[in-house]
Formats: sequence, C-alpha cells, structure tokens
Amino acid sequence: MPSPPSDCALLILAHGSTENPDSSQPSWELADALQTSGPFSKVYCAFWKEEPSFRQVWSMIEEREVYAVPNFISEGYFTRQVLPRELGLDGPTTEVGEHLVHYCDPVGIHPTMTKLLVQRARDLLPGDLTLSEVSLIIVGHGTNLNKQSTEAIKAQVAAISAWEEAGESFGEVLDAYMEEAPFVADWATLTRFPTVVVVPFFIADGLHSYQDIPVLLGLETNPTAAASQQEVFRRNPTSLQGRTVYYSSAIGTDPAMATVILDQVMAFNTTHLS
Amino acid sequence: MNLRDSLEGFLPPGSSVRFGELLLVRADTGPIMMCHSCDADRSDLVEICGAPALREFGKWSDAGEYRPLRTAPTLRGGWFVRCADFGELLDHLDAVYPGSVATTLRYLNGQLDPVPLRDTLDRQTGMYRFAGALSDHAANQLMRELCSPGCLRKIAWPIASSSPVARLRVHGSAIPLICTEACTFAVSEARRLAREAYDKANAPVEA
Repeated sequence: MPSPPSDCALLILAHGSTENPDSSQPSWELADALQTSGPFSKVYCAFWKEEPSFRQVWSMIEEREVYAVPNFISEGYFTRQVLPRELGLDGPTTEVGEHLVHYCDPVGIHPTMTKLLVQRARDLLPGDLTLSEVSLIIVGHGTNLNKQSTEAIKAQVAAISAWEEAGESFGEVLDAYMEEAPFVADWATLTRFPTVVVVPFFIADGLHSYQDIPVLLGLETNPTAAASQQEVFRRNPTSLQGRTVYYSSAIGTDPAMATVILDQVMAFNTTHLS
Repeated sequence: MNLRDSLEGFLPPGSSVRFGELLLVRADTGPIMMCHSCDADRSDLVEICGAPALREFGKWSDAGEYRPLRTAPTLRGGWFVRCADFGELLDHLDAVYPGSVATTLRYLNGQLDPVPLRDTLDRQTGMYRFAGALSDHAANQLMRELCSPGCLRKIAWPIASSSPVARLRVHGSAIPLICTEACTFAVSEARRLAREAYDKANAPVEA
C-alpha cells in the first residue's frame, strides 16, 4: 500500500463533549502518538463539541495535503452529513481553500478493528482460560430511530465469528445494545458460557461505557464520577449471576487505534489514489 | 505569512504581550516564557513541560470542574512554560486555546473573514435545525448573556451579512482573542432560546 507523503498532515475528527472530560482524550492521545511516530508532517484534532472545532481547524493547518480520518465507530449522520458540511467536503478528495483534503472512512469500519476487538478481549482474560468456554459481547448504543446504527457492530461480530485462525476462538460472539434488542441488560440469558467478556464498541469512555453499561450489566448501581476517576475498568473480574464477567473500557481508548487510523489512510490511498 | 512568523511579529525580542489570560515574554535572548497574566510578579511558579501536559492542565478549573470552553476566563495560574522557538510557542498556545490562536492570527492578517450568525444557524441540521428560528432580539441576548461574560473572545461576526461590523484591531500590548464564527455553545444556546420562544408563542391559552 502506498504511504502518505511526509509533508502531509493528518486530521483526526471526533465528537468531543461539553459534559464529559474523557471524550476527546483518546483522540488527543492518538494525535500525540502519531505526531511522534507517524509519517505525517503534523497531526491535528478537531471536534464537534470541543475546540478546535471542525470550522476552526483549517486556519491551523499549514500543510497543503491533508488526510482527514473520522474517529467515529460507524458511517452515519456525522460522517455523511455533519463532517462534510462543516469541513466543506464534497467527495473523497476536495480542494478546501489552500488545502487538498482526502476524506477517509471512519475507523470503526476498518477490518483492523476486528483484530483489535479480539485482542482487547483476550488481553483481559487470564492466559490459562479456555477461550471456547467464553462468551464475547460487543456492546453498542443502538436506537430504534435508526436501523443503520447497529450495522458496524453486526459486521464486526460476523467478522470475528468468521475469523479463521490457528489459535482458539471464543465459544460465542454476540452483539448487544443499550436501547434496542438484543439488550445488554439481558446478557445473562443471551450468553451460555461461564465466563463473559464485554467490550464496548465506543470511541471514548463516555457516559455509556462508564455509567450506563456497567449499570445495565449489574457491575455498578449508582456511578457518578468520570471514567478516569472510576474503578469499574480496573477490578476485573466480577462475579455476577453465577458467571465471571470481565468488562473492558471502550475500544477507542486502545493505543493500537493509531494503527487503525494509519490503515484507513492507506486504504484511502489504495482505493482513490492508486 | 505562516502562523509562526505572524506570531513573531507580535513579540519582537525584548517585549511582552498579553494574549487572552496569558502573558508571553521574550527576552533579547533565550526561551520565550509563558504564564498566566496574573502571575507576572510571582517567583514560585511551577514549570509545565510539554503541550500535552499543558492541555491537560487547562482542562480543569480551580474548583476541579471540567472546562470544555478553553477560552472561558477561568484558566488556573501558578505555572509557567518555556518555549525554545515560535513553533513550540504555537503548540503551547494551542494547548491553552485550541484553534483560537490560528483564528486570531489569520483574522488579524486579513486572511479570515467572520461568518454571520445567520449563516451558522441556517446550515444546522438535526436537533440544531431549530436554532435557525432565533430572533435578532434573542441573538443579542445570547451575545450579551452567554458570550460576553463567559468567553474571552471578542465577537467579530455580525448577526446577518447585511449588517457588517467593523474589523477588530490590536490595541497596545494585548492581542485580543477573536471569535470569527459562533461556537457550539452559542449554537446550543441559540437552539434553546428559539425553542423557548416558540413554546411561549404556542402555549395553550388558559381559559
């Protein structure tokens, strides 16, 4: 795959939050890591709900050529409407003022995410555990307002289930959601193995991964602090309803997400610039 | 002109300048120093090393509250950073005021024009579409009650393109942080005010 030229900039696009101090942290950490070790002249971040905003960021960027990668889990309203509108993009490559902008696919739909989800789940478990006796649940938001909202997770679950490899594989891989069936609150009846590992398919440890899902699982009753101040991710495993439950922080907080961002840039080059 | 050269133009050797709540000091030689403008005379400041550490520091107020709007007038003091050159200075300024430094410099150089509030509100979709119904009266209320007390940036945008405002300029040794387009906080508040006015106008008449 062709690499980006070293005089290009990388722009990481994320949601951010006016309420949750942990929301933008994964994007900043990825930017700092890729600035140090990546192939780009400079790495920038921009946010919908924090600053720099999508509208401000063009003033900051002095490189001519820019790869813009949405740090979003799925294709949808933000990647198809909000980001192109706010950034002034009208296709895969757009001239925006003095910039030549390559608009990549969101990180969540890249095949590398599949390996990352599996690795994340395996890293939580003791090495001597038999994986075929473990249920893996990938948890998303889900909403009855948008039938496409679960597509990315269903695709990842299908990919993990079909993943042929020499090593052991999980006993079962399931998708579950906060606000539509199958509900994560029903995890005990949805799964059939004694050990259950739960990985939230979110970019950041926002309200959902550190408050809502732990409560739905029964790990917490009344959490109040921000994710960075909480123990919910650090006290694995928990015994619940006769099972042993391991709970991961959001997949987007994994440092290996830097690889996914680079892979999306490479995939753009292969698809549009080769 | 690139941003580093532009910034250097405001801070020649042997000078100092205020930028928002920051004080930037450049001696004739040596690093460029940055601290809170209230701390100019303190000798007990703690050094913060690196833009990521400064970004994390700026995330929290003295009361330990999250500062999603970094241009709110609530930056903590008690620290300083030293920057070897204007590239480093730019990175550290961005850590304190993400995006606002470039916006300000581009605007002052005549490279960036303000976006009228109506243009910003009218392009909103989804739950923010309703913000487009904001009246001129409520827009002034928004600027007066939300922007003016809550943010250091000076508004450079007009409400409508038909009512342009004079361009802001630098006066003395302080560079004003400049707002060229309503931010997410202003759009959210515009939506709330528009919704409130709509609900009030359409409230059922009591018998």
